[in-house]
Parts: sequence; structure tokens; C-alpha cells
Amino acid sequence: MILDLHAHSVKSDDGRAKVQNYCQWIKARNIGIDGFVLTEHRQFDDQSNYDDLAEKHGLTILKGSEVETEYGHVLIFGVTPALQQAFDFTNIHLPLAEVISACEQHGAVAVPCHPGRKRVGMAAHLETFGVPEGVEIVEVFNGGSRGDEDKIAQQLAEDQQYMGIGGSDAHIVSHIGRCATEFPVDIFSQQDLVCALKTKKFKAIKLAVEA
Amino acid sequence: MPTADQALDVAALRDQFLNVVFDSYELTLSADRLVAYATSCGETAAKFTDPQHADFQAPPTIGSSFQPKQRFPKGFPTFHGLGMDAGKAVAPDKPMRAGVPILVQTHMHDIYTKTGRSGRMIFFVNRMTFSDEAGILLGSADTSIVIREKPQT
Repeated sequence: MILDLHAHSVKSDDGRAKVQNYCQWIKARNIGIDGFVLTEHRQFDDQSNYDDLAEKHGLTILKGSEVETEYGHVLIFGVTPALQQAFDFTNIHLPLAEVISACEQHGAVAVPCHPGRKRVGMAAHLETFGVPEGVEIVEVFNGGSRGDEDKIAQQLAEDQQYMGIGGSDAHIVSHIGRCATEFPVDIFSQQDLVCALKTKKFKAIKLAVEA
Repeated sequence: MPTADQALDVAALRDQFLNVVFDSYELTLSADRLVAYATSCGETAAKFTDPQHADFQAPPTIGSSFQPKQRFPKGFPTFHGLGMDAGKAVAPDKPMRAGVPILVQTHMHDIYTKTGRSGRMIFFVNRMTFSDEAGILLGSADTSIVIREKPQT
């Protein structure tokens, strides 16, 4: 199963895509993904339920979050009500160690995203803060990467022996599915996703998307 | 007006300025203005373009055309960095009609930060609310402004 693990909808302040339109685009353009995870900025979207849309379009639509730490942005998969109480998702100065610890405690997975990116990627902060403990997976393919940002991410993953995921970081409809993650198992829920990530059997992929 | 330090204390700003009405005035929309607005938006439905229509009313987005007389609360700091429009969101609740006095009030609804390639950005969201003489909310319009702080490095 192939999932785009990093996408934003209009629920994010800079997102311009409705989830319905992502679904329509994936089907209309035959984008080679089986679903996507909405990782809204600095929040977990408790209110939206995309089950009907998922069923209608035959896609897996899950929810996660993208929070901000001293090491840059971090995706969280497996967000629970208890995890939401563990730290303030809106805080842009979250300590990464606190995020990782809370995720471990509440059965979630934290994944630094676009780690090769200036200012908001983990690699840019290693010299200042050192290599953080507890990171096991990073995003090595990001659909919004510029220049050598993905190369820096891949080098970081190789150096630190991190697993790599892929996500489009789509904010507009046509960017969905640019990058994704391939799993050997089916994933239909947050729990499935967390399990799949913890088994570490997956690979990041970059998809050729028609213009 | 005071000048803010580069490392702006957003929490203090939120405490001081959020949810305090800093601009308030009353307006009454004329039928001509409603028709002009509707026409400029490309509306063709008679209830927006024909004052004789039984349900004549303003198009739902009309709130986006109102402006506060004052853009920020008194004493609000100015900022270093690049300021940009960060969007507008209109939430219509009930129809606005010609000849009905409308109370327009503006408060700072949210101040939040995010980080990006270019550094920290601070978003200021002003919310303008529209209510009738009975105090019934007719709608609101949010205007966001973002300040991109000058990067340190």
C-alpha cells in the first residue's frame, strides 16, 4: 500500500486544498497512491471526519499533525486525546525530546520532516543542538523540497541510520502524491499506520506525476 | 507607537490585545450599494441585483468590502520585517439588507506564530463582526496579516 504521509488541507492556515478535491484529483489523474495523511500545522484536527469521503473514493484518509520544535518541523502519527494533553501543539518552540518522549508514552510516532530544509529542518540544527536522541525515522522525500534539501535529508538518514518516509507536503491539490511511502501491509487506521511504522518495513518513494 | 524588538513576545501581545474591540461604527447599506457590489462580483441572481425582489439582500461576501477605521488597537507595536496580506475569510450568518443599521466592530481575534524557511512569521488576525440593532450576529470577516521577521542568520 502506498500512502502520502504528509499533506495539508484548508484546516492548515496555509493549506489551500479541500480534502474532497484531493480525492477527486487522485482519482481523475490516476495518482499512484492509496491514500494520504493530513498532517495539519500545529494542531490535530479533531473535528473533521473523512470516513465517507474515504469510502466513496476507495482511499485511506488518516489524520496526524505537524508540530514545530527546536530541530524544525516534526510529523506525528497516532495522535490521541491523551497525547494532545501532553504538550501544546501550537507552541513553535517545542523541545523535540519532549515530543518524542510523549509520543513514545502515548503510542505515537514522531518523524522529523524535510530535515534538509533551512531553518525548519533537523540537519540545520545538529551543529547547535547535537544529534537528538530517540529519532528513528525522518522524511527523506518531501514534495516541497528545493535544491539539495532531499539529498541532505537522505545523507542524514544514512549517517544516522534512520529509516526514511516520503510525503508530498501538499498544500494545493495538484501536489498530492508527489512523494509517498510504500508499505507491505494494508493500512486503514492510525493504529495500522503506527504499527507499520514501528515495524520499520517501508520505503520512501518519489512518484512521477503527470503535469 | 512603540517599536517592537525583533524577538517579539507573542504571549504578552495575546494577553494584552486579544478579544478587545478597538474599532466600532455603524453603517446602513443602501440598495444602490448592494446592487453595485453584487454586480461587481458578477452576481446575476435577482435577490442580489433587484431591489424590488422580495428577498433582496447583500451577497454573502459583502463583509469583505468593509474596512475598520483603525487597523490595529491603540498602543499596538510596529514591527521589523516584511508585512504581507495573509488572506481574508468571510463567514456570513444572516442576510444583510438595505436600510438596516449594522454595527461593525473589530477586535484582534488571534495572534500566532509559525516557522518556515525564511524564519519566524507572526500572524495577526483581525475579526470584524456585523450585527443588527437587536444584537443578532449577521456575519464576520477575518483579515490576516503576516510579518516575516528579519532572519537572524
